[in-house]
Amino acid sequence: MQLKTEVLSFFNRFRPAAAPRDTAKDRMRSMLTYDRLELPAGRLECLEEELMAVVGRYFELDKNTTQFDLQQYDRRASLIANFPLLRSKC
Amino acid sequence: MSGRVIVITSGKGGVGKTTASANLGVAIAATGVSVVLVDMDIGLRNLDILMGLENRVVYNLVDVIEERCKLRQALVKDKRHPNLSLLPAAQTRDKTAVTSDQMRDLCEELKKIFDFVVIDSPAGIETGFQNAVAGADEAIVVCTPEMSSVRDADRIIGLLEARKDEIEQYRLVINRYRPNMVQANDMMSVDDVLEILSVQLLGIVPEDEEIIISTNKGEPVSGTDNTRSGLAFRNIARRIRGEDVPLMDFDAGSQSWINRLVNFFNPARV
Repeated sequence: MQLKTEVLSFFNRFRPAAAPRDTAKDRMRSMLTYDRLELPAGRLECLEEELMAVVGRYFELDKNTTQFDLQQYDRRASLIANFPLLRSKC
Repeated sequence: MSGRVIVITSGKGGVGKTTASANLGVAIAATGVSVVLVDMDIGLRNLDILMGLENRVVYNLVDVIEERCKLRQALVKDKRHPNLSLLPAAQTRDKTAVTSDQMRDLCEELKKIFDFVVIDSPAGIETGFQNAVAGADEAIVVCTPEMSSVRDADRIIGLLEARKDEIEQYRLVINRYRPNMVQANDMMSVDDVLEILSVQLLGIVPEDEEIIISTNKGEPVSGTDNTRSGLAFRNIARRIRGEDVPLMDFDAGSQSWINRLVNFFNPARV
């Protein structure tokens, strides 16, 4: 049993996505972004919906490829929004 | 004389604030300057134990503030380290026994007597923390490479940033570092933590069983033996004194063949 676990964990090391180190780092980054802004969960999604609605009045959007994220640089966050446009509605 | 007042803080408990305070006190004193260690964890006194001075405590910080004794009477001189003294916390009172203004006055007094005033802050971000940082010129934030500790360190950094007028600089000490776990990608590395916190690094202290032994003996590792953790604390003390001491290389030599193989297949993660 012990050997099996060891062998498994040996092979797990070849799967970068599953490394606890990276998971921790990703969770940490997102958690601290919310902490520093004192941003409650769900608030960002709320903003995304509203913004999409506004832009959607002017353009037809490709809703499958939109990007809406907070990014940290040097303890400051910026909002990165990317709404691919299909055509104007006017 | 006007000494430097350095507060050791972390937010989270159990990451090694008191251990770092004791070891840095000893290591800074060993560089030839006078140091006083101030235990601000009122009600949960522990620094005296780590220093092996628990049997010599007569008066404490609260006695000084409430004028039951003179400052000099409360200072416990460490016989093994002639430049080093301890101002113990009260064990029977709580954090509300002192105010921030009283702490500022006390630090002013201590600065006149000692080259370095090292304050061991209690865990948390409330009254005890606020009092501990009140008279400080600089801060050392201690964290371990664990998520809860990094998160709390981030909170502390935010609070120190808000006190920029008083706290001239703050630097990070990463404690209980486990190079083997980092190499196996099971734990965040020094670079990961620094990238997340965006803070200046003062030093890295490896996880070391010798710390437990030294606590039991009442002799901080930085003063007695040639342990890795002791050396790490001595290096940090030299950096505090302004020396340019390179960081210990934890990765060299300790890489197992399996890690080399993993890194070979996945160079981005080295």
